[in-house]
Amino acid sequence: MKPIKREVPMLGTASYKVQRRILIGTFLLAPLALLFVFTLLPVLNMFYYSLLEWKGLGDNTRFVGLGNYSRIFSNPEYFSVLTVSLYYLLGTFLQLALALFFATLISYGVRFREFFKGVMFFPFLMNGVAIGFIFLYFYRPDGTLDSFLRLIGAGDAVRYWLRNPGLINISLAATSVWRYMGFNFVIFLGAIQSIPGEIYDAAAIDGANKWQQFLYIIYPSIKRIVQLNLILAINGAISVFEIPYIMTGGNNGSRTFVIQTVETAFKYNKFGLASAMAVVLFFIVLLVTGMQNLFFKKEDQ
Amino acid sequence: MVRNAVYRKSRVASISQGDSTAYLIRGLSYALLIMAAFAALLPIVVVLFASLKTPAEYAQSGALVLPQNWLNLENYRRAFTEGNMLLGFLNTGITMAISLFGAVVLGAMAAYVLSRFAFPGKRLVLMLFLFATLVPGVTTQVATFKIVNALGLYNTRMAGILLFMGTDIISIYIFLQFLDSLPVSLDESAMLEGASYLTIFRRIIMPLLKPAITTVLIIKGVGVYNNFYTPFLYMPKPSLHMVSTALFKFQGPYGSQWEVISAAVIIATIPTLLIFITLQKYIYNGFTQGAIK
Amino acid sequence: MKKVLTAVVVFFVLGMGSLFAGGGDEAGRSSDGRVAGPITVLTNRTDLVDTLFADYARRFNQIYPDVQVNFEAMTDYSGIVKIRMNTKDYGDVLLIPDGVTPPQLGDFFEPLGPTAEMAKKYLMPTEQAYQGTTYGIPVSVNANGIVYNKRIFREAGITELPNTPEGFLEALEAIKANTDAIPYYTNYASGWALTQWEAHRSSVAGDPDFVNSLAHTDAPFAPGEPHYIVYKLMYDIVARGLAEADPTTTDWESSKARLGNGEIATMVLGSWAIPQIQALADDPSDVGYMPFPYNNNGIVSAASGGDYKLAVNIHSKNKPAALAWLYWFVEESGFAKETGGIPPVVGGEVPESLQAFADLGVNFVSNNPAPAGEEGWVDEIDREGEIGLWEPNFKARIIEAAFGARNETFDQIMADLNEDWKAARAVVTP
Repeated sequence: MKPIKREVPMLGTASYKVQRRILIGTFLLAPLALLFVFTLLPVLNMFYYSLLEWKGLGDNTRFVGLGNYSRIFSNPEYFSVLTVSLYYLLGTFLQLALALFFATLISYGVRFREFFKGVMFFPFLMNGVAIGFIFLYFYRPDGTLDSFLRLIGAGDAVRYWLRNPGLINISLAATSVWRYMGFNFVIFLGAIQSIPGEIYDAAAIDGANKWQQFLYIIYPSIKRIVQLNLILAINGAISVFEIPYIMTGGNNGSRTFVIQTVETAFKYNKFGLASAMAVVLFFIVLLVTGMQNLFFKKEDQ
Repeated sequence: MVRNAVYRKSRVASISQGDSTAYLIRGLSYALLIMAAFAALLPIVVVLFASLKTPAEYAQSGALVLPQNWLNLENYRRAFTEGNMLLGFLNTGITMAISLFGAVVLGAMAAYVLSRFAFPGKRLVLMLFLFATLVPGVTTQVATFKIVNALGLYNTRMAGILLFMGTDIISIYIFLQFLDSLPVSLDESAMLEGASYLTIFRRIIMPLLKPAITTVLIIKGVGVYNNFYTPFLYMPKPSLHMVSTALFKFQGPYGSQWEVISAAVIIATIPTLLIFITLQKYIYNGFTQGAIK
Repeated sequence: MKKVLTAVVVFFVLGMGSLFAGGGDEAGRSSDGRVAGPITVLTNRTDLVDTLFADYARRFNQIYPDVQVNFEAMTDYSGIVKIRMNTKDYGDVLLIPDGVTPPQLGDFFEPLGPTAEMAKKYLMPTEQAYQGTTYGIPVSVNANGIVYNKRIFREAGITELPNTPEGFLEALEAIKANTDAIPYYTNYASGWALTQWEAHRSSVAGDPDFVNSLAHTDAPFAPGEPHYIVYKLMYDIVARGLAEADPTTTDWESSKARLGNGEIATMVLGSWAIPQIQALADDPSDVGYMPFPYNNNGIVSAASGGDYKLAVNIHSKNKPAALAWLYWFVEESGFAKETGGIPPVVGGEVPESLQAFADLGVNFVSNNPAPAGEEGWVDEIDREGEIGLWEPNFKARIIEAAFGARNETFDQIMADLNEDWKAARAVVTP
């Protein structure tokens, strides 16, 4: 955020001031309107539903105040599913580390760059349902993974990847890493590539090595995008839904908080309770985001 | 072009050090890249195999077993005709063109204002966009549906367009990142020549944002293209079907014809891949300051 | 009856006609008094909508040439339609989604007629009815049982179909010992396949009032109760290693072919599955259907019940055409036969696949409607207690416990369900 230092133009200062006001208003109007109507308003409605007992159909609602919340907080079972998110959280760190590593590696210039970039990004282009089915194939007994392990002589490592309750979430989190790593990779690469070339020139003249280049040039310039990706990825880990829902339906200990919320709404028709869960999740995410923000601020100082 | 010079320089630099560690690191880098590429491709190759198998063959052979006939395109024919994919591509094309154009313009506008001007409530605006991504969309479906219906958009193309057009924090951040690397002196020199902010935005900023726009297009485009829930819920009319819904033509309550779905996945992925390959050089081209010097 | 009813409804709608802007042409009738105009039909059969259903529309148009039938097919049918039902726009003809309570029926659907009258002509008119009015007719009536491979049973030396849970387990042991087939295939990963077990509470009880009695018990999952017996069999099959090695990666689509060709010996499924499995079998006559292995003093029962019920949207702007489609579909289309079920009209033809049941002298049990004042209680307790009788959740839990992924016993799961049931019942029933 670099506000323009207003000391340059002598001409039309006033008119620029007016222009600025108009521009701020008009340029933000449409994006904020869309945001309000299709995102914030539904969220506000969700807050309202969370105070009701409502079956999601018709208008036979009953106001129960904080009843839904007290039900959630008096029943620790509802929160036990959050431990599943820890697997995805670890997966997330791995995913970001890999993405940053490969983005840096490729930005230093390797042969077949285009090929590697394309291939790594490709999983992100796939449809989620297709991914679910690919990986059910991948993990099933004698499936893709087992066949591959036997091929390289690691047959002893073959396990029931989804049946084993200790492995199921690791397998699912790995699927998630496979799917999204390319996305972070491309974002990081784009950010690295937007660093002006002269800086490298200068560094090269100073005799900085690759590691120093990364530490003193690359990382500081892309810090903000890394932070944002971290925030989004951690929040993603807390609100994991699609992959476990498609692959295991949340069974065998892979149920996540969002799956539980969706089930409460659509299987048990408790829209009020489900909305309260969504609100609780929202505050958890908000809290985590706030903590991260504080952490980054400290780091900056 | 400047970048290539850097590569040359740095490569020369590292080789002139002439020690074996440089070669070792280089070898290791390639090994890692090849492993990553393999890991990315292996699960997808399986889908390709599946798409070339007959239903009986699919039901009775393992995932890694090669199809008996590499030219068995029956699943592709079925996916394309029964899945009505031509109409799907048409609808997806129209919806994506309009919503992505809108998303890019709105996103760039918002980012320009946020990056170049200081004004009260700026942090709040950013927070609101971030806030929007913190709510899992699945949980607000009922409320969103009621709003779309109240606006009279239900079962119209506009529903999808508007829902996809909303700016997301990722696009804004990509633009912001990029705008921050554009020196303010660009704007200032234009202002000295008496250009209005609007002109600066249109003539200077937008053209320079091209690489960022491409990145945003790809990211948002993929999201829109693969999103099946929105067309399902908001545009169930068959004449509005999109590519992503074609996959579900072959998934009934009593079974899924995975070999045809696989073919549909491959068909659906081909345009994405082509577009990606065509545009990727723009994404990574990076920013050259040749224009400024 | 139907014609009279349609005439009454037409008359009624015409009386209301002035309320709908746009008038006669687009809805109701053409100028010469025939049923006309567009209708939208919602269906869960994404797989049939362009083939079979398009054909139905053509045949329907031979009788009603002025009606344009448009289909909207959706996966996750109940979930999506329930969201849509928060507006008026949920098609003209639709399947009543899960989770609509009996008292709500009249808010959303057009009454089709008095239940007593409907019963003279249609099967299961009570399943979507409230206070003597029927709102939906099933698209098909299914029996419940176990699909099995006759050849494998012969190879395993099973000569008599078992009629006790223990006998069934012994049969599976014999299959495991004497053949290469997987004795039982759970289809755990699909989720929905596990809910096919729930209907057998009535097969075990053999009593059409059993389900209504659940509203009056605090412990439906106690040992000796039908639910306990049904799910104990499920647990034992997996715990004794008589199911597939890894339930978490089952594939429904290929399991049909595998049962047909003898790689799998048995699966608990509704009768709708029989034609699908036969179509994929090397020899269709290998595919047999047996009732749930349980008898009350020698009498074996099979639960039967309606599939989704077809109904008309109360907000439909073209009720005459919508009703015309509904009645044509359940009476003339042949959909039930096509999908291996019993046609929903009285005196319909029992499909060949179920002839075996008739030959065995199996007693078909279909549930009686709830007594007046108790409509929807069982569903409400189920919902309130988050039990999920028709959801895969606790079945998945039983299977996970059986293959050792959970440290709880079968009896603990049952006790837990009883506890939830009891608490919910206290809330729901006076």
